Amino acid sequence: MNENGFTQFSTATVLLLLAAFYGGTYLLTLLIKKDKEDTSGFMVAGHHVGFGMGAASMTATWIWAASFYAAATSGYKYGVSGPIHYGFWGALMILFIYPFGRRFRQLAPNGHTLGELIHARHGSSSQLILAVSNIMGSIISLMVNFTAAGALVSVLSPLSFETGVIVAGVGVLAYTLTSGFRASVFTDFAQLVALMAIAIIIIPAVLFSAGGTEVMVEGLSRMTDEQASLFSVDAIMNQGAPFFVAVLAYAIGNQTISQRLFAVREKHIKSTFVTATLGYGAIVIGLGMIGLMALSVGMTPIDGEMNNLIPQMVSTYLSPFFVALFFVLVIGSLSSTADSDLSALSTIMMADVYGKNLAGDNPNPKTMMLVGRITMIVATAAGLIFASFSLDILVMLVFVGALWGAIVFPVIVSCYWDRVTNAAFTWSVAIAMALFCIARFELLEMTGLTVLAFEVLASVGGAVVIGLMVFGFFGRTAGLVAGSLTLLAMLVYATGFLRDYGVLMASLTAYGTSTIVCTAMTLFSKEKFDFDLIRQRVGSYDEVEIEDHSDYLPEGAK
Amino acid sequence: MTNELVYGAYILVWPALTLGVLAVICGAVVRDVRRARKTDEDLV
Repeated sequence: MNENGFTQFSTATVLLLLAAFYGGTYLLTLLIKKDKEDTSGFMVAGHHVGFGMGAASMTATWIWAASFYAAATSGYKYGVSGPIHYGFWGALMILFIYPFGRRFRQLAPNGHTLGELIHARHGSSSQLILAVSNIMGSIISLMVNFTAAGALVSVLSPLSFETGVIVAGVGVLAYTLTSGFRASVFTDFAQLVALMAIAIIIIPAVLFSAGGTEVMVEGLSRMTDEQASLFSVDAIMNQGAPFFVAVLAYAIGNQTISQRLFAVREKHIKSTFVTATLGYGAIVIGLGMIGLMALSVGMTPIDGEMNNLIPQMVSTYLSPFFVALFFVLVIGSLSSTADSDLSALSTIMMADVYGKNLAGDNPNPKTMMLVGRITMIVATAAGLIFASFSLDILVMLVFVGALWGAIVFPVIVSCYWDRVTNAAFTWSVAIAMALFCIARFELLEMTGLTVLAFEVLASVGGAVVIGLMVFGFFGRTAGLVAGSLTLLAMLVYATGFLRDYGVLMASLTAYGTSTIVCTAMTLFSKEKFDFDLIRQRVGSYDEVEIEDHSDYLPEGAK
Repeated sequence: MTNELVYGAYILVWPALTLGVLAVICGAVVRDVRRARKTDEDLV
């Protein structure tokens, strides 16, 4: 233990663990290495990833280092229901996207990114809005994961923060650069098995070492009524609701998800995403329980830093062997997400930027591969630099989150409604972002009719979120009914109430505004788009034959 | 005692569920590998 109460490994031990992890992962990728990679394999593994590999990859990708820390923080802060209000909604992000994913695959069976589909549907401006939001999201994610590696290494060893950041960056790049997405998916499986096995061991180990269930039940008396309740309003409004609002936005805005929707065999999309939902929920909620245990035993996070909770609990109650397992757990989770982000960024640059905008009608596969690999190197360098400077990413996160919220309705409706135009897409996102900024940063005085207007817009946003979720699974009529009922309930109960939850109101405003503008402009349009054109316009750059499931019709399209 | 059981189950159900999902994924990957060998396709 060091003076802060953490288990302290020697430099040699940590370097050995890192070398074993990244060296082992690199050796794994040699098993799938090809003499000549093609663009389809590099971007979406040839569209034929199986159920097992797909589910493992989706689960591992969605679990990043912050998942554990944030779930534990939620457990510590909000008590019994806290971990659920982090992990459950995060899991639903995977679940609720798959009905739409099947529609994306039906429209663009040869696709690699959602941006390509939107380019075929609308053109460059809409596509680039989506691509930019994807790029920003992946760079933030890269930076956060590299930062987590630096923090972990510096806390558990004499090595510096920068050393941890650099080792993680170089390690991830080394095993992803050659085979791209194929390497990401293949290594995700191994990383997930390690991650799950360690979680299965560590959670009960901490529970019983900390005194077992008896001590935990005694700890309930230390909690406030809200913390001790499974139905805490505090937890729902401050943790659950903002996450619930983001369910579709995170999924639509994240190329790591779209990429897997295009990579998994079409008939396995449902099973893959349902399994990943369960896997993500179980691991993240389970590790979040360590935060609840910390609250129950009365532990105070060192330096008031919530991210210290899990390492602190593991260091306090378990032997150094378990701390080493925890180290591998975090490195595995952040690496699996970082390699997916590198693959996502390279695919966006290859397909959306080079393939659809720079190369004209004749993209060269060799140049495309070069673009992908250079992107990976540049993105890693950018991630390392941003992480080393420990930049405050809050403002960036706020904007990216809002942008994702603003594009949800235009993206989804563009795949079902043939009258939506490029102008409707673009203007709806632009106006939604403007109104989001007004609400989020209170650029207008939020009183009287002004705040009421924003509450009405936010109510529409709430209705859109629920309506789209129901639409995905049960079709248009059910979606419209659910949306209408939600709107009614929101107008009655949320007006005069939402103003106290500024972040939530601003997020919902983005959804509501883009929906209203996009719908209004579409109703004025006389255009009729032929959806079959998307299949013709989104092609394989390698001329690979793909499975034909054109007889399939997803629920939402019925 | 009942409280302890419920609270213990509430915490331990998640690693148990994780174990179940791990088993499902490993089984499915084994099937993926077999199919890849049978059809002479790449696993990924």
